[in-house]
Amino acid sequence: MSRLAVEFAGIRFKNPLIAASGTFGYGVELAGVVALHKLGGFVSKGLYLQPRDGCPTPRIAETPSGLLNAIGLQGVGVKAFVAEVLPQLRDCGTQVLVNVCGDTVEEYAEVTRVIDGAPGVAGVEINISCPNVKKGGIAFGGDPVMTREVVSAVRRVTRLPVIPKLSPNVTDIALFAKVCEEAGADGLSCINTLLGLAVDVERRRPKLAFGTGGLSGPAIRPVAVRMAWQAARAVKIPVFGIGGIASAADALEFLIAGCRAVQVGTANFADPCLYDALLAGLLDYLDRHGLQHIDEVVGTLQYPGGDA
Amino acid sequence: MPSVAPWGAADREVPLVAREALEAPYVLLSFQHPEVARSARAGQFVMIKPSASSDPLLRRPFSVLHADPAADTFTLFVKPVGPGSAGLAALRVGERARCLGPLGRPFRAPSPERDALLVAGGYGIAPFLLLCRELGREGRSARVFYGGRRTADLQLRERFAELGVPLVAATEDGSLGHAGRVTEALEAHLDGASRPSELLACGPDAMLHAVARIAARRGLPAQVSLDPWMGCGVGTCLGCVVRTQEADAPRPRYRCACTEGPVFDAASVLWPGESESFARARGAAV
Repeated sequence: MSRLAVEFAGIRFKNPLIAASGTFGYGVELAGVVALHKLGGFVSKGLYLQPRDGCPTPRIAETPSGLLNAIGLQGVGVKAFVAEVLPQLRDCGTQVLVNVCGDTVEEYAEVTRVIDGAPGVAGVEINISCPNVKKGGIAFGGDPVMTREVVSAVRRVTRLPVIPKLSPNVTDIALFAKVCEEAGADGLSCINTLLGLAVDVERRRPKLAFGTGGLSGPAIRPVAVRMAWQAARAVKIPVFGIGGIASAADALEFLIAGCRAVQVGTANFADPCLYDALLAGLLDYLDRHGLQHIDEVVGTLQYPGGDA
Repeated sequence: MPSVAPWGAADREVPLVAREALEAPYVLLSFQHPEVARSARAGQFVMIKPSASSDPLLRRPFSVLHADPAADTFTLFVKPVGPGSAGLAALRVGERARCLGPLGRPFRAPSPERDALLVAGGYGIAPFLLLCRELGREGRSARVFYGGRRTADLQLRERFAELGVPLVAATEDGSLGHAGRVTEALEAHLDGASRPSELLACGPDAMLHAVARIAARRGLPAQVSLDPWMGCGVGTCLGCVVRTQEADAPRPRYRCACTEGPVFDAASVLWPGESESFARARGAAV
């Protein structure tokens, strides 16, 4: 597997396939169904200081090649995660990243402090892009000043790699990528879900109880590749490409566009055992193109007119 | 080889081995899947999807109708109502589907002092064939109350007759059995019953809520199998949660229908339109 091993923000992943936050629980739910040690790593469901109820139901609606969700970051809270979940992951054989949330800048820092002191965590992903919460989330990730404040605050309290997850619901993602880099981020995750609305035409109401939701799945892939590409061009730190990946070719789109590694999200719901096929597909691609290592693919996009 | 979870589930690409068309549009589909065939209990389900296509994107949950450990097969009762179930119903023998199961918490056997009264609405009948067999193996009997709009909605009635399980039919158009709702037939039975009962129900939400009200009013235990939109089936997407109020809990919480259900204690469910304080009072009373 060394042909697929990647280093990202100081973290060594055995392959560039990481399960995305919110689509893989806390890593323990699929124990026995998915062989965790085959993954490069996974990112936990977003965690606040306290347990959280999340949104009322219905929370999900299927859309063409997509999934619209407003879960609202239901979760057990960071202390229960550290005390009860992390010990179960001790020998999981994959890198564990923790997705950190907050209603305030202080809460982001406080959650990170708890994670920083816990064994077995490889990095911190900062959730400044959830569209389904009233405070925090996109309220921070949609504002460059708040983005800088949150990333700086998290940076100050941990030596773990810090990876902000950016929102696609902005006009210029490159601006946010640069702000994060300047604030001390070690890497970026691009992108979170796209803000969407699905309407039940019989009842003339939103299909989701929260109203709007976040769109994910293959439907958003071209948007995600474009934004990950824009972010990767704007910074020197590595970028996780995220958005509608369900096959090796999908993952390669992001790698070629400049992402050092990728996160697989909604596809975990439709096919939790897809990693074998993805890994085989990446190796097959290297063979067909006479390449030794997956790094040789990264950032090789031949964009018309050159990379302006 | 798929890996098998400690809880017995496995994800497999499974061939359709038999297809039996019932009265249109209903169909019985049998798949080869050793883990489901050997360990599925009444009320458990599989997440299944016929192709890798992204439209529809997600697998769909289906109750296991029948499991045959000797043949390593299980059977689903499918009514095509949307793209997921229609795609499944269109499968031909030999074609494959991705299938993860068995999943979820099954029905608990009612206490021996109580009669098991099974209440089904439409294709909510699916888990009860397995439940009647499970009860039969323990030398216990059950009674089925089966309701629908019209006679054609009441498929598989003869399978209960073959097991010697009495079945009370109810149709809203009056074409078979009691003319009206199945819960009316249930109440008529309860009015004349000499032994205490436990209610086990699967069907549309409105019927399940009605069963829950009957159980609360008469002080009967009741289990309901809920069917919310489900994304993953294993507790990672948190899309299928049900608001519940346990008697010993300080406040309501969301529980995953896939891992903590789909069968819930009816008294714990916060039904649409119910206030949380009402549910708390009921929880304390039961």
